[in-house]
This record gives sequence, C-alpha cells and structure tokens, in this order.
Amino acid sequence: MAKSVIIKEPYPPGDFAIWLVIYVELVTFGFMFLGYAFSRHADVVLFNKSQLLLNQTSGFIDTLILITGSYFIVKAVNLVKNAKGEQIIKEANQKASKWIAASVLFGCLFLINKLLEFSDIFGQGISLGTNKFFMFYLLLTMFHFMHVTLGTIILFNIFRRTKASAYSAENSRGIETGAVYWHLVDVLWIVLFPLIYIIR
Amino acid sequence: MKRTVEIVWGVLIVLTIFAYLLGKLHLASGFMVGVLLFTTFVKGQLVIDYFMGMKNVSLRYRLIPTIWLVVVISSIAVSYYL
Repeated sequence: MAKSVIIKEPYPPGDFAIWLVIYVELVTFGFMFLGYAFSRHADVVLFNKSQLLLNQTSGFIDTLILITGSYFIVKAVNLVKNAKGEQIIKEANQKASKWIAASVLFGCLFLINKLLEFSDIFGQGISLGTNKFFMFYLLLTMFHFMHVTLGTIILFNIFRRTKASAYSAENSRGIETGAVYWHLVDVLWIVLFPLIYIIR
Repeated sequence: MKRTVEIVWGVLIVLTIFAYLLGKLHLASGFMVGVLLFTTFVKGQLVIDYFMGMKNVSLRYRLIPTIWLVVVISSIAVSYYL
C-alpha cells in the first residue's frame, strides 16, 4: 500500500509580523474572556438578568456572516496560491477578486448589523457604567468591532491588489497575511458568541 | 478531499445553529454548557487548521493557537462549574 507523506511547512502562512500581532491579540482577548467568565461566576443573577436584554439572533447572524466571509477568503487564497504562468495568474486573480469582494461585503454587513445592535442597546439607556455585564459586553464587542473594521479595510486593499493581478504562487504572502488576520477575528467571535450571548 | 473547505464551512454553520438553538430554547445551562463549550472548541480548531492553514504547519506553531483555545475554553468551563 502506498503511503502519502505530508511535508509540514516550517512557518505559518502570511508574514511573521502578523503572527506576533495575532499572539498579542489572543492574550488580550483571552484575559478579557476570563475576566468576563469569573466576574459572571461572582454575580450569576445579575449577568443572567442583563443577558436577557441582548439580541441572540443578532449575535447568531454575526457568526454566520464571519464564518462565511472566512470561507470566501479561503477560496480566494487557494486560487492565487496555485497560480503559475501569466494567463493563469491573471484569471486566478480575477476570480479571487470576486471572492474577496464578497468577503468585504460580508465585513460591511457585520459592521452594519453590529451598529444596529449597539443603537438598540444605547436606545435602552444602557452604557458602560450600567453594570459589570454591560461593561464587559460593550468593551468586548466594541473592541472586536474595531478589529472587524480594520480587517475589512485590509481585505479591501487585497481586493484592489487582486484587480491588479498582484498575487501568484510565488507571491501570495500579502493575501495570506490579510487572510490569517481575518480568521483571527473569526476565532475570537466564535468564543465570544456563546460566552456572552448564549451561556446562562 | 477537494471539498474539505466546503465541509468545514458546513460543520461550522451547523454548530453555530446548534449554539443558537440552545440559547433560543433556554437549554444553555448545566450539562449543555459543557457540550456547547466542546462544540466551540471544535469550531475554533477547524478555523485554525483549515481556514488559517495551520494543519500542515510545524507542530510548535500549530500548537500556539490550539493551546490558547484549550486554556480559554477550559477556564470558562471551570468558572461555570466552580
């Protein structure tokens, strides 16, 4: 029986500097998640009561948007990573630009949905000082919102570069760097959604 | 093999719907929180391995986000069941 040997890449995809940023972000969000979890443990009644004012459907839609946006980016990266030869590179970049445009659109949809949610929360007279639950909810979701905003801007720049057929099998580091940043934003939301919106 | 990314996306969507239904049906408490946290770990690891592309990366780099995920999710579980 023939055995297939998978050769492991020595380094993660994308620029090494983005991984330093990712590690810092993971530690920062990690502490905030644990801060929320242990503060909740200290006052379960307040956290459960306050959580009822959140819109779970909005958080659910946000998750679907981010996961699907991530999927679009993977499709784009796979296209350009395998592109060799002038004509194929051009075609791959044109196809990739459509996937990236879709992911930018999904990034914008997330931001719009979140702004509607914030508007609803602030409309109820809730602020950072209302109680500990809303302090964590607003800090975490707004901090994450800033990351999605930056991610969407990065993706828009990648879109422009694909329009100029800038990426190929030999030159895919830029698109991979933007992609891993977006996937980080996705992973953070995957933990945030059940923690803040669902667990009771 | 070619459809791996589509399958991963499908699993992520199904697990997200599962989490949402737990919340909507007021089942996200007690034992089900453990199940929910396990599915959260699976979702995070799928994104790390297949979307970030860490599956075929040297173990020392692949393990960093995985260890983060394990530590954060286990700590959330500890704080819940404490």
